[in-house]
Amino acid sequence: MAAFAAWLGASTVVLADGRRGLALGLALATTALAAIVWPEAGPAAAAVLGLGGLAAAARRLVVGTAGWGIMPPGSTPRFILCIGGGLLALWIALGVTSGHSSALRFAVLTVAGLSGARALSSEEPAVLLTAVVLLALAVSAAGGLAEGSPAIWTYLLAAALAAGVGWLPLSRPRAA
Amino acid sequence: MLPEAAVLLVLVAAAVLFALVFAPATASRRGLLVQGGAGLAATAAIAAVPAFDLALLIILALGAVHAAIPGVRPFAVRLRAPVLAVAVLALGLMLVRVEGPDVLERFAAVGLVAGMAAAVGLLPYIHPFAPDEAVASSPLPWIAFVGPVLAAVVVSRAEVLLSVDAGQAFAAMLIGLGVVNMAWGSIATWLTDDTAAAWRYSFLADWGLVLCGFGLTLADGPRAALLVLFGIVAGRLPLYLVWREPRAEQATREGPFNLLVAALLAGSAPFVGFAARVLLLRGATQLFWPLALVLALGMLLWLPGSLRLGRSMGIPRGRRALGVALVVAVNVAVGLYPLPLLQAAHL
Repeated sequence: MAAFAAWLGASTVVLADGRRGLALGLALATTALAAIVWPEAGPAAAAVLGLGGLAAAARRLVVGTAGWGIMPPGSTPRFILCIGGGLLALWIALGVTSGHSSALRFAVLTVAGLSGARALSSEEPAVLLTAVVLLALAVSAAGGLAEGSPAIWTYLLAAALAAGVGWLPLSRPRAA
Repeated sequence: MLPEAAVLLVLVAAAVLFALVFAPATASRRGLLVQGGAGLAATAAIAAVPAFDLALLIILALGAVHAAIPGVRPFAVRLRAPVLAVAVLALGLMLVRVEGPDVLERFAAVGLVAGMAAAVGLLPYIHPFAPDEAVASSPLPWIAFVGPVLAAVVVSRAEVLLSVDAGQAFAAMLIGLGVVNMAWGSIATWLTDDTAAAWRYSFLADWGLVLCGFGLTLADGPRAALLVLFGIVAGRLPLYLVWREPRAEQATREGPFNLLVAALLAGSAPFVGFAARVLLLRGATQLFWPLALVLALGMLLWLPGSLRLGRSMGIPRGRRALGVALVVAVNVAVGLYPLPLLQAAHL
């Protein structure tokens, strides 16, 4: 259930252009990832990850293109990407790989893959920074796949990056 | 910290110092110090952190901060490559960690090579380049400043994470990508219209040698890679910074000084590039002699491009001349006696 929510959140970020849609997707994916890492990494790591992602979602709610902007005209290729990417990740997570948590494998594959794809398909800084946040959360969650108990530092750094990246001062490109 | 990365980090710090000392009088030293210091701190963190996941997060943070520096190219264009690099590296890392068929490790090797190429800005993930953009906001910091340490970290992590079979695939991909970068970079340096773009392509060509060195599984390979990286950070990058300085006379010259710079850039004796090329050819001959033939032919392609870049330097005066003399002296010293550098890196 949580893995499906992570895919849904990442897909919402892929399909949305407005700040409300991006914030909703980010909050959904963050909550799902926090729930998935809890059993392996503990409540502290899950809380840190959740706080970082939700802080980023709150920031996104006030910065960016106004409105929801979910599935604007011309977003069919993005929709196909979400469905196709989800199915491919599901096959790899359940059919090809084994060990550890299959939910974690599926969540990391979909969130990292879709956020990387989103970064390639947009010119809007708010969208790209949301993709950066999602990717940071996925990278830290992937630490749970390593042997041994994952260190809290990875989650702390990811949370700090997620919460801080939305505050970067962005300037318009200037002529040479 | 990896000894090789520590050595490269010292070189990068020296490059920042060079930029501070030899920057034009009109340039803001404070801005250079802040940007160079932040880049240096992030590069040190990439090398020092105990887990690869942490290194990926630092690359992502560095990419976002670098993209936010005011520049000619849009924010999105500058942020894409680091994000793509981290996404691909993270997927590669995930495939190493999960249980599954052996072929997964080969896919992981593809992810690690592709992610490294995207982060550094090598072919086929070449970062868009604006010739008139300031050095700090251009792709040059990735290819000449952060890239050397980042590549050393990725390669060392891959050696630990991948099995023997996947490790061989990783090495073969590095060599293949290296040959492509060598050929493309050196030919583009020679034939491209814009001189700034020619300088940028010359970095790509040098990186081709670095990748080939990392790909050679013999001791000579990493040694050659380190020497080429030394040439990039302590040779090509400072010369590029000197070339970028605004000067009254922009005309090209072909005097003894220009030939000396061209020889340095082409990796002729007694400069450090020559020692690197000898080690590379010796390692390739031991591993698979036709590869040495390909590399030797590729190395000849450096000549026309290096002559062009040497001519573009004009005749430096004052502080610029002192900077070039320093670069030449350091590259000759390490070229004649590279052992201390190699020993410091435990190679």
